[in-house]
Formats: sequence, structure tokens, C-alpha cells
Amino acid sequence: MTRWAMAIDLRACVGCQTCTTACRHANATPPGVQWRKVLDVEQGEFPDVKRTFVPVGCMHCSDPPCMHVCPSTATKQRPDGIVTIDYDLCIGCGYCAVACPYQARHIVHEREFAYDDAPSKSEDARFDEKRMSVATKCTWCVDRIDDGLAKGLKPGVDPEATPACVNSCIANAYTFGDLHDPESNVSKKVDSTEWFRMHEELGTDPHIFYVVDEK
Amino acid sequence: MAADVRKVPEYCYQCVAGPDLLQVKVEDGVATEIEPNFRAAEVHPGGGKCCVKAYGLVQKTYNPNRLRTPMKRTNPQKGRDHDPGFVPISWDEVFDIVAGKLNEIRAKGLIDEVGYPRVAASFGGGGTPTYYMGTFPAFLSAWGPVDFSFGSGQGVKCYHSEHLYGELWHRAFTVCPDTPTTRFVLSFGANSEASAGVVGVWRHAEGRMNRHLKRVQLEPHLSITGACSAEWVPLKPKTDAAFLFGMLHAILHEHPREALDIRFLKDHTGSPYLIGPNGFYLRDPASQKPLLWDGRRNAAVPYDTPDTDPALEGEFTLDALELGADGETWNHTGVRAETAFTKLVRHMEPYTPDWAEKICDIRPGTVRRITAEYLEHAQVGATVEIDGETLPLRPVAIILGKTVTNGWGGYECCWARTLIPCLVGALEVPGGTLGTTVRLNRPATSRQASVKKGREGFMEFPMNPTDKEHWAERPAVRNAHATLVPLSANSPWSTALGPTHLAWLFRDGSPEHWPEVTAPELWFVYRTNPAISFWDTTALTRRIADFPFTVAFAYTIDETNWMADVLLPEATDLESLQLIRIGGTKFIEQFWDHEGFALRQPAVKPQGEARDFTDLATELAARTGLLEKYNRAINRGAACAPLSGEGYDFQLATDQKHSAEAIWDHVCRAASAEVTGGAAQDGLDWFRSNGYRTRPISRLTWYLFRELRNQGIRFEMPFQERLYRHGVELGNRLHERGIQWWNTQLTEYQTLPACKDFPGIWEKDATLHAKGEEYPFWLVTTRSMQYAWGGNAGIQLMDEVSKNLRGHGGVVINTSTAERLGIQEGDLVEVRSYLHGTKGPAMLRQGIRPDTLLMIGQFDHWATPYAKDMKAPSMNSLVPMSIALTDATGSAADLVKVSVRRVAA
Repeated sequence: MTRWAMAIDLRACVGCQTCTTACRHANATPPGVQWRKVLDVEQGEFPDVKRTFVPVGCMHCSDPPCMHVCPSTATKQRPDGIVTIDYDLCIGCGYCAVACPYQARHIVHEREFAYDDAPSKSEDARFDEKRMSVATKCTWCVDRIDDGLAKGLKPGVDPEATPACVNSCIANAYTFGDLHDPESNVSKKVDSTEWFRMHEELGTDPHIFYVVDEK
Repeated sequence: MAADVRKVPEYCYQCVAGPDLLQVKVEDGVATEIEPNFRAAEVHPGGGKCCVKAYGLVQKTYNPNRLRTPMKRTNPQKGRDHDPGFVPISWDEVFDIVAGKLNEIRAKGLIDEVGYPRVAASFGGGGTPTYYMGTFPAFLSAWGPVDFSFGSGQGVKCYHSEHLYGELWHRAFTVCPDTPTTRFVLSFGANSEASAGVVGVWRHAEGRMNRHLKRVQLEPHLSITGACSAEWVPLKPKTDAAFLFGMLHAILHEHPREALDIRFLKDHTGSPYLIGPNGFYLRDPASQKPLLWDGRRNAAVPYDTPDTDPALEGEFTLDALELGADGETWNHTGVRAETAFTKLVRHMEPYTPDWAEKICDIRPGTVRRITAEYLEHAQVGATVEIDGETLPLRPVAIILGKTVTNGWGGYECCWARTLIPCLVGALEVPGGTLGTTVRLNRPATSRQASVKKGREGFMEFPMNPTDKEHWAERPAVRNAHATLVPLSANSPWSTALGPTHLAWLFRDGSPEHWPEVTAPELWFVYRTNPAISFWDTTALTRRIADFPFTVAFAYTIDETNWMADVLLPEATDLESLQLIRIGGTKFIEQFWDHEGFALRQPAVKPQGEARDFTDLATELAARTGLLEKYNRAINRGAACAPLSGEGYDFQLATDQKHSAEAIWDHVCRAASAEVTGGAAQDGLDWFRSNGYRTRPISRLTWYLFRELRNQGIRFEMPFQERLYRHGVELGNRLHERGIQWWNTQLTEYQTLPACKDFPGIWEKDATLHAKGEEYPFWLVTTRSMQYAWGGNAGIQLMDEVSKNLRGHGGVVINTSTAERLGIQEGDLVEVRSYLHGTKGPAMLRQGIRPDTLLMIGQFDHWATPYAKDMKAPSMNSLVPMSIALTDATGSAADLVKVSVRRVAA
């Protein structure tokens, strides 16, 4: 059984936010709604200071707290690990947004535009009424994955079947693929490196692996 | 679901690190998404990706603040406080106005009464506007003399000293590591991870992940690049030269000579040349070639004598000729002379690592430790084979950032940065420090082809003459680059690489014995906003307002075109046609294994009445009677590629107007023929579908050492006889005219530079103008990848995502310093220089020196829609333009002494 996972090599990430913008484009999220973004983290005291860039978003946890608190069963998990939201079922209560330890969920109640009070042509072309007043988050570009698989493509290898953030990364920091396939890019990356998972102590079994060094 | 979905190949060249190859998704005629051109990964050294800026192009296209029709000014009064009263007019009317003005000028003569071109033009962003202005360069070529003196930041916000000295020493308009091969990089303030584009980021990340590439970042604040480095050394601003000099001392005085590449120094540099008592090379009286001491013959011989063993060090007795400045000569008999290397060793003696560390205000031991690491990584003696040729392998590199290479100290830093690699044979070899491209030397298309051997055994360089007969006494352009800066040469780029702030500065009054600097009668501006991006922007805005007639090719209203007379809306990035060259080697880290061409094309229809820039240029040419010259310029190659070559001829008929499509179809056909050796002649339609066309090139073209070795040419290191001679002569010329205000600049012309108190120059300048105030902090800036300078400051998406990174839109201040001053995160603070003040929210960070403040981006816009609401601080209004802060190359550094205090919101 496939288990999709993502590895992000923090040695490579430069915090450029190209993945943030690529996600905004691919998923047509409104201004301020970033399903993927890169944090700028500083540790230490002058002059012994470290600064690290950490891409974050939905971790597609194996035990997702957002799903457990969802009163409408809108949030589900597919067998391949992707956590989904059914917009037809979501009531926008926001429990999931509170429960998520990764602050990965967003709810928008009013349309917002890049400029002024009116949509541009591109904003109009991509507007989806179903996304109003419901929880939204990173889907790992599930439509690309499913459409790509249907065409015989390999997610994480073929761009058409790969999440936009992975495709866009100018540092090649992202790896995506099937963690249960030992030959996949992501398995090889995880097997050959030292990594951590965010808030692993919470027991959510998140599936973004942050690579910090070679093994 | 959209009925019609297309993906259209494009390029993005919003910054100098481009081009990025991308594709735009168009749904039912509306551009909706940007994504990489995945196919381009086969040729593009950055995996075919495009950077964050490219994703702003959809919003740029549909920005409601765009100008959609031509406009003309109705308020004759110009200035920040005078609403221009722009009203829409037709294209016919705007062409009538502009062509009428141009024809009026042409009738009077192209040069004004003082001797300057009556037409001036300013373009921003390191030449990037040329990748969007279609055939306008052909129009300018057809027009005749145009003054490009009025800069928008050139000389003060570029790698200016590096441009000039870099091209002199190793055809390096800019410098970068041979990143795919190097193992150790010393980066003095070069913010590569924010400014080296996709290719730079891609290559460095690969090195960090897969090859243990270690980079040490030396700079006053922990930049993006510092964050991605193995170590951050928080140098005091403008002390980089001291660190580098400390390294030189350590290498020459504390390590055995075996650590150096002695063969490289003897055979490929001027190190063994003998120096005369007057500071010039000792020469063979017959050939006038510099002499070295040959250990085999035990005699002085010309440098290019075969089968010698040059003495690297020592003092010798010989008879020789010494050629000074302005033809002065000395015939020496039995003169004692040291080698250049011996002089260097003695020269560096005082600059100990302990001395450097005090100046730099860093932890003791740092200079020695890093020097040792550099030498260890250099692998002196290692070689590598590339395409059948054996080259030295030296995986160590040193790179410099903008404020390091600009202004006082730039010469010393560039000299040391070039010399240290020479000591270990790491200049222009695999793994080492490389130049990227040429802009002053010719031909511009090939660093290798620009290499010609001079009499001294070094590369020829097109210095502006300083001898009595040929010196350009009367400046031909307003920044006087050919008169004041011999190193700026006289290529089409030279005007923009001269002291561009002098043109603005002298508009307020020329210094003694200097001609009046007149206003241009017509000024073209495109993709540039000097009223925001240059210095002393308050005064500069007034100077712009003094220009009698300004023609702005405009996207939105901005602070510069606020003073324009007419606005011409151009079809922007995703709406217009242009073919450009790609590949080869180019700044910032564009090192390809391919070369060729890429197309930008209309993915969507232009908004409003915006027109393709090529059509604008053609119409102006037709209405000014320049059509034939304009078409001839295009035929010669002014629009990307010559339209004829061996086995092909796609030249345009010169007596007719051609549409943009027709022109670019001809260019595409010629490009296809050029890149395939005549095998293909595909035109615009082919490029529309395929986006780009390339051919493979040898990686040997990356390394200039090979060309020098083949021609028997040496790197002009360490001794700078040529520069010194030109400096003496320039001083003579200026003093003959009674000019004394350039005297400090003349002191930069030294054979072996001394390390001066460079921070003290700024400190003294602040004290001189302080009027009782104290300015205890340094204010510096840094690059942001999200912003192409300020050119996309009006794009909401860039504003939004840049805020994920700490520092944008505020004043970064050390946490302890802030506590001492009672400043908390988010407090409104005022930062003041002796010139002006600016305000912004405090952003507290540990990753900055306690004596330094940082502002990222300089976006205190007051007219540009959206950007004017950002209310961001800007150092540009705080930094003075002054001769005192201008170095000999005509550059000055983005640096100023300031105070900071909390103020009421």
C-alpha cells in the first residue's frame, strides 16, 4: 500500500518562498492564505546565532488530530495517508484549526483580493465558492497525484503528478514519493539521512521529514 | 472547468540573475499560473526552475493600477507636491508629441552647447530592461549620441569596483565560485542565496547536500546566505579589506612557501617581475618588456624568454630601463631591484591577523583559523581533466558582496580577493574563483575572445587614455566616466558604469573648473525609478523635476514618472515579444553547458491599449525619419542576433515599417540558423511552441586560465604598475586644469594598496556634518529575492510572502541594543542620518551586530500604487551623494552612519 510522504532538506532551503507562491498559484488560495510557507527561525545569542528556514504546511499525519475533532466527518484520511477535507460536509466550525499543532488550516469567510475590493481576471477565473467558510489546507496537490497516477505517471518524479511546492523548489530541497516503496526518492532520502519530524512527541506521526545531515 | 487550457513558454529576467525559463498556464485566455519549464531542466543549470519573482507576473498582468492608455501631463509644474494631472490621450497624439520633440532636437543638433547629448535615457536593474524593451536599442542606435549618465543606482548599489578591477584582472565583470566543483567558499557579504538567482541557489544547495561544500559568511548581519552557511563571522562594516589583508599576512608570513602554488606564481602572474626605484617595472631597453631574474642564466631577461626559472623572491643588480608616467624614462645601471613578490611580502608585513581582528571586531584566532582552512582546501598540485585538457583543480573561492566592492575599500578588497587565489593557483581554474562575463571588454559575447596579450605580458585592457594628447578633457557625457575613470573604458556599458551619481550631483552646481552639467532636453525612462532607488532621494526628485521633457514607458504611476510629460503603457512581460540569448557564462552564477536563445511571447492579450515595445520603437523610428537606420541596426544585431551570417540572410527591408511579429520572426530564423550552424531556419512559430533552442558548449569556456596559458599571458598580480601610471597621468591632467577636488580619489592608484581606515571615512563624514548630533550606528542593507530591486514593489504577492522572512518592511536591530534603548519589537523607530530621517517598525534580532541596523529593500514609495501603502523605511533618503564618499572608480557604498530612537506611532 502506498504511503505518500515528503522530505525537506533543511541544509538546502534558503527561505525564498518560491514554494509558497507556487502553492498559492496551483491551489488558487486567496491573499494571506498560504497552505505552504517557509518559517524564518533564529536561535542563540549574538554572536553565536543560527538562522534556519523551515517549510511548513499540513503534515498529513497518520494520526491527525484535525480528523478526530471534526464533528461533521469532513476531514478524512485516505489509505495513502493524504488527509482530505470534504467541502460539502465541512461546517467551518474551526475545531480542526485549533486542534492542528502545525497551524496548517485556514478558514476564509469573505472573499479577499490582491488589489482593492474587486477580483482580477485571474482571481475570478480561479474562484471556487465551495472554499468559502470551510477549512482548507495543503492537499499535497492530490488532484495532480490522482490524475498523474491515472496517466501512469509517478508522483515525485513526473512533474505533472507531483505537488507544486516540490516542482517549484529552486534548491531541490523537497523530495516526495511513496515511503513504502524502498526505491522511491523519498525512501532513499529518509534512509540515507539524519532527520526529525515536527512535534513528533505529540504522537501524530507526521509525514514531513526534515533532513538535517547525512547519516 | 476552463474550456481552453494552454501552457505558454516564457522567460523571466526581472533581475540580473536571470533568465529563468518558465511556462504560464492560460485558461480561456486568462493567465492563471506560473510554473517551471520542466523540459528546460535538460539544459538549464538550475533544474529549469524559476524563482519566486516570476510568480508575481500573473498579478502584474492584471494589476488594476496599470496604466492602460497613453497619458499626458496637464500641470506644467513638476515636483513631488504637484499633481501631474495626467489625462488619457490617443497613441497617435502621444507619438506626435514625442516625435515632435525628437524632431525639434534633431533639427537643433544632437549635442547641446556644452557638449552633452540632448537626449538621455535611464534604464534600471543592471541591464535587465533590455530584455523587455524589444527593438528600442535599435532606435537608440539609429538616433545617435544618447547620455546614459543618469543612473538609478549604478555605481552605488552594484558590484562597481569588482566590475572595473575584475574585468582588468580576469575578465570578471562579476565574480563567483566554481560552485559545482569548489569545496570552500569565503563570502564577504555576498548574499548569493538571495541574489544569485535560481542557478546560484541550485548549485550551492547541491554542494551543501552532496559535497560538504563549506561556506563561511563574513558580514555585519546574519543574512539569508549567512543562514545557509557553515559559519557566520560578524565583521564590522567596511573592515573586509582588513580581514583579507590579515589573511595575506598569514599566508605570506606564517605558512611555508610550500603551501603556495609557486609554479603558478612564477609562470602565470607578474610576481617575478623586477621593480625599479621609481615604482615601475624594470624593462629590457630594446623590447621594453618587463624583466625577471632567470635562475638558469643568473641574469635579468624579458618575461617571455623561453626556458627560464624565474626568481620569485630576492633582490638583484641589473641594468635596465624604467618607464614612468607621461613618457618619463630612467636608464639604470647597476640598479638594485626586488621582485614584485618580495615587495608584496614586505608590504604585507604590518597587517597581522591580530591587527585585522581588532579592526574587524571579531573573535581572536578567526583570521588564522580561516586562512589555514583556505590553504588546506586549496589542494595545491591537484589537477582535473575536462574535455581532454588537464587543468589545475583548486576548490577554494572568495567572493565579495556589493557594499564590500563599492566605494572606498573596494579596490583593496578586489585586489586581495584576486591575489589570494593567485597565491594558491586558484584563479580561473576548476573549483576556484571565476569571472562570469565581460561588459567593458569586447567582444561582449566571449570572455576568451576578449583576451589579447599586451606588451607587459598581461591582458590588454581598453583604458580611457590619460596621456596629454588623448585624454578626454571635455566630458562627452554628464558623468564624465572617460575623463575621470580610466578603468571604466568606453564600451556601450561604460557610461552606466561611470560615476552615475556625479551626473545627479553636478546638476546642483559643477565643482571648480568643471563644465556645467546641463539637463537633457528629452529623457527616456523605462523600468527604473531613481526617485526611490538612488540616494538622497529628496534632492534627486527635485533634480528630476528640473528636466524639461521626460518620456516614460510606464506600467503604473511611480515616483519618477510622476514628473514625466508623457506616459506610454507598454505591453508587459506576458504580453509582448522578444528573443534573447541564453546560456554560456554570465552573472551572477549562470554557468551553462549550453548556449542559445529563448523567447518571451504574448501568453495573453495586452491589457487596455498597452502596446508591444517593438511596435513603439518602430513607430518612433518612422516618425523621426530614422526607419532605415533603425532597420539596419536590427539587421546588424541590435535586436538579439545579426539577421545574416554564413549561409543565411533574413535581413529586413530597410525602407518599410515591420510589425513586431515580422521583426521577431526574422530574428528567430537567424537565431535558429546561428545556433544550428545553418541546419535549421525555424521562425517565430517554432519558438512559440518550443520556447528555447540551444546547443552544447564545452565547460572549458568557464575557465579563463586556459586561454591565458595558451597565449602565454600572465595575471596582472600582485603589482599594479599600469593602474599607478594612469593615476599619475590622470592627476597631472586634472591639475593642469586646476582641478583639485579629485585628489583623494587619485590616492587609490597604488602599486600595492595599503589598508586604510575605511570605516573612518564614513565616521569622519558623519562627524563633519553632525551639527551636534551623534550617529553611533551603521545602517546597511541586504538583497531580497522576492523583490527585483523595487521594480515589483507594487505586487501584492511579493509583499505577502516576503513578510514570512524577518526584516522586510522594518528596521532590524540587535536585541540587546534595542533593550538598552528601550525599544521593543514592533515599536516605531526613527533612523536619522545627518541628511534625513526615515521611520519603520523595529524588528529585533540576535543575528546582527550591536552597532549595526539593517533595512531590507528601500520602499518608501509615495506615488506607486500599493507600494505607497507599505509605509516601509528606506535608507536611500538617508545616504548622501558626495565626492568625499566616492572612490576612484566613481563608486560609493550603500552605507551611512545613523542614530535610532523610538518615536510615537
